Amino acid sequence: MLKIRDLHVSYGGIRALKGISLEVQAGEIVTIIGANGAGKSTLLNTISGFLKPSRGEILYKGSKLAKRPDLVVRSGICHVPEGRLIFANLSVLDNLRLGAYLRSDKKAVLEDLEKVFALFPRLKEREQQMAGTLSGGEQQMLAMGRALMTEGDLILMDEPSLGLAPLLVKTVFEIIETIRSMGKTILLVEQNAFKALAVADRAYVLEQGRIVTSGPVAQIAGDPAVRAAYLGSKSGKSCG
Amino acid sequence: MIQFLQQLINGLSIGSVYALMAVGYSLVYSIMSFSNFAHGGVIMLGAYFGFFALTLLKLPFIPAFILACAGTTLLAILVERIAYKPLRERNAPFLYFIISAMGASILLENIVIATIGPTFRTYPPVIPRTPIQLGALAVGRLDLIMFFISAVCLTGLILFIEKTKMGKAIQAAAYNIKACALMGVNTDKIILIVFGLGGFLAGVAGVFFGMKYTVYPQIGNITTKSFIAAVFGGLGSLPGAVLGSVLLGTIETLVAGYLSSQFRDLIAFVILIGVLIFRPSGIMGKTTVDKA
Repeated sequence: MLKIRDLHVSYGGIRALKGISLEVQAGEIVTIIGANGAGKSTLLNTISGFLKPSRGEILYKGSKLAKRPDLVVRSGICHVPEGRLIFANLSVLDNLRLGAYLRSDKKAVLEDLEKVFALFPRLKEREQQMAGTLSGGEQQMLAMGRALMTEGDLILMDEPSLGLAPLLVKTVFEIIETIRSMGKTILLVEQNAFKALAVADRAYVLEQGRIVTSGPVAQIAGDPAVRAAYLGSKSGKSCG
Repeated sequence: MIQFLQQLINGLSIGSVYALMAVGYSLVYSIMSFSNFAHGGVIMLGAYFGFFALTLLKLPFIPAFILACAGTTLLAILVERIAYKPLRERNAPFLYFIISAMGASILLENIVIATIGPTFRTYPPVIPRTPIQLGALAVGRLDLIMFFISAVCLTGLILFIEKTKMGKAIQAAAYNIKACALMGVNTDKIILIVFGLGGFLAGVAGVFFGMKYTVYPQIGNITTKSFIAAVFGGLGSLPGAVLGSVLLGTIETLVAGYLSSQFRDLIAFVILIGVLIFRPSGIMGKTTVDKA
């Protein structure tokens, strides 16, 4: 579905990505794990069209991906950004409607709105509230719901568990699985490697702008180097 | 009492024209977080466009008015494309935008001085000068028209922003332009529309200012006051800009009427400094904070 070949990205004089190649198949959850500053967000921002690659190409469903954010959304990729970036000055409902900005079929939009409310009943309760008054967890749900409203097939998620209480982190990962069961494909960037590996099918490990290892999650989770660097301990349980 | 009402009406009328200008500052600020000082130049050219449409082209008032507004809409968009778009594409720091805005403002003023000349020009008497008697009150026809048209334009603008899909996208872009792009909104188009709207209202304001006072290349300096009004009301907030403008216009006319017109601008700046000290975000400025 998504195919990235030899992607190089520089900004602010820093070479943030140095030849990334990866692939995401339809229906998969693929995770990219790595430390702060490894280039995870840079990769997502490049796919979304905010950063221009200096070399390499991104193919989506067999054709070259557009390089402007709104056109990327139009081609079916949506991005739940780091820090959620919900529109605090608008109501919950307006936030969700903006997700459907490019869609003109009102009936289908209403149906999807109902689906999002079924998935996140809390958002339905707070429909008319200003999004800025939501709690951190609710804001993350709104950001995910808003992305679902775009009708994209591939969802890029940037650190969805960041800053959330452990119980909410668990909920967020359950929601990610539910979203996959709705027929979506997910590219998940996470610092919480333990949780990410538990939910994903395959993983790429990113270090200083390069992919150092990749494979099915079982293999990655069993890799001693990965365990030492990202799972924190021999038992691999401390990051949960 | 009669004198007070009279001053109040004058104040509201001038305040509504400040509001037309102030929303232009506020719209651009809300999306791009810098003060578009070239806006004054666009208003000044609006006054000239209207003046020449009436005198050179000998158009009737309404077509001349529309032509002036179309001219400033295009001009505002042109300023964005030339002075700001190249900076946006390079993700330049906001200071560069302000410098570019000042440059554009000086450029517009000097183009006019060099081509049209620095002389003061007076609009032909399109609107009769005789006031309308409302009981003991004498209301200027121009004041009445200014107030009415401004109110219609501002209501239209607020309805557009609050009720339409595009308006919601503008509000979303004001909150976070990156997130807005992630919704599939072409943010470049949003910026274009915002400058176009500001430019259109600048044309309305420019023609009214030209008619009320005179037309000269430094007329844009008056717009400093509408900028003050925008800050006063809360830069980036449209209702704030309108409220700030009406308050400023009213206070100004009352000061001019009861104290002395010499004090008028002094009071305007004292208010600005006062607001900046005690309430830096203005009456209705953005105060929402992101939650972690």
